[in-house]
Amino acid sequence: MTPRRRRRAGLAFVAPAAAFLAAVIVFPLGHAFWTSLHRVRGLNATFVGLGNYVRIFGDDAFWHSLGVSFAFTASAVVLHLAIGLALALVVNELRVGRTALRILFLTPWMVAPAVGATIWLWLLEPQFGVVNYLLRVAGIIPSPVAWLGEPATAFASVVAVDVWRGVPFVMLLMLAGLQTIPVEQYEAAAIDGARAWTRFRYVTWPNLRYLVVVATTLDLINTIRHYDIIGVMTGGGPAGATEVLPVLIYNTAFRGNRLGEAAAIGVALLAIVLVLAIVYVRAARLDDDKAAR
Amino acid sequence: MTRTSPARTALLWTVTIVVAVVMIFPFYWMLNTSLKPSAEVFASPPTFVSSQWSLDAYRSLFATRSIGRYFVNSLIVALGATALSVVLAALAAYGLTRFFPRGATTFVMFLLFTKMLPETLLIIPYFQLMSDVGLLNTHLALILAYSSFALPFSVWMLIGFFRSIPREIDEAARMDGASVLQAFVRVILPLARPGLVAVALFTFLIAWNSYVWALVLTTDASMFVLSVGIANMVGEYRVQWNELMAAAVIAALPVMVLYSLLERHLVSAITAGAVKG
Repeated sequence: MTPRRRRRAGLAFVAPAAAFLAAVIVFPLGHAFWTSLHRVRGLNATFVGLGNYVRIFGDDAFWHSLGVSFAFTASAVVLHLAIGLALALVVNELRVGRTALRILFLTPWMVAPAVGATIWLWLLEPQFGVVNYLLRVAGIIPSPVAWLGEPATAFASVVAVDVWRGVPFVMLLMLAGLQTIPVEQYEAAAIDGARAWTRFRYVTWPNLRYLVVVATTLDLINTIRHYDIIGVMTGGGPAGATEVLPVLIYNTAFRGNRLGEAAAIGVALLAIVLVLAIVYVRAARLDDDKAAR
Repeated sequence: MTRTSPARTALLWTVTIVVAVVMIFPFYWMLNTSLKPSAEVFASPPTFVSSQWSLDAYRSLFATRSIGRYFVNSLIVALGATALSVVLAALAAYGLTRFFPRGATTFVMFLLFTKMLPETLLIIPYFQLMSDVGLLNTHLALILAYSSFALPFSVWMLIGFFRSIPREIDEAARMDGASVLQAFVRVILPLARPGLVAVALFTFLIAWNSYVWALVLTTDASMFVLSVGIANMVGEYRVQWNELMAAAVIAALPVMVLYSLLERHLVSAITAGAVKG
């Protein structure tokens, strides 16, 4: 084939997806920027320049929500990582049942977050919920707690549910990573008489470090954008205690009917995610020579 | 690996089982509640097993609510999004790896970028545009929305699969007189089947589990998908928890079955990107 015909054949393969992505991603994204520069009322849009941005940055609700987002994301990601890694180390040592366990552990992650959140609403129900019952029987709480009724417990609850949902994914990545570590390295360490901690410190950790960085950034990006769990469990309440940025965007757009402001907050969230994405790309070193391999 | 003592093995298993119980308990409670008669749902102390278990809650769920309709809606949009994004992704990934190997890398960066867009930012223009063109409350709107974020990831995964198929195979097929398209359909696609299965499954699960898009793009109760229908039941004045948990079982079960059947495909697809880098 001549180079020109090759190019044409190639374009014919790529064009449908490219056109589709232009229509369903690039254009809507451009439209979101456009909306963020307008005040939208029904079908009328008035150009307000950076007015929406000035307004959200001058609004305590935005800074409060940003703080909630950081607190939520940081707590959830640290717990995902710590528990996921610990669990992977444990499961990796088991001789039998690894596949069955992997399926079992991954269930919270496979099921729709909105559905998982609904199940937890029932578990945490103040009067008849099983969580209150179990904690009272165990003597941990003296009387039933309205978990989602108070700011502090509501925040802790949504973090706990997110941890329940997010740990399996990190565990899966870590387990895959652990299985790529050459057995010879452990044998060599064993011959040197290395104990469990020393083996972890000098064999497991150096091999896993890169994956931990990648998993952390991926998890940060996914958690800071996530709407469903908090959207279903609290809708951002009580008193804004769980109103992370995605929930604030939804509430501003579809409860407050202020699409322009919501789009501006969305752009700010995108900026935060992009900073994290740059860290991710650096960490994953997705440069030409490696990707071409 | 070092030899493990029985005490150590027992400890490892204890930790594993305790964590597994915590992870799985919510699902047990969902199933348990869904099988209880209404009176027992509010029993104090709650019952962990019951002689009264029956399918009554499921019967009244189907009799009094449009759960069947929600199920069909979820199925239509998930299958539609899967078909659309698998076809587009297979074509694009093949075209990129075979004809624009350098372009593929640039494209991958763009795909990664789209993968990071916050859903809640994109639903604003989606809501505006879909209402402009009269597509609110249609399956098509959801199929387009789900494909928009499934497609980049699908292309990304398939690029990996197509790269692992040697170009010599294409060339051999072309020598035998096959056109570019024939070589792709008859020779390459069958070889890439594990990748296509993984991508299809992944897209189906993403679409099936998705919530906020459907929440915004459907307002008519007859167009609700399962996740939205279920979350809506929570807002009712007096929640019938056994029926609500029965609905959750109906939403969760297909996912669990699909996943346990095709676990290998899926796990390798999920981990490939991150582990290999």
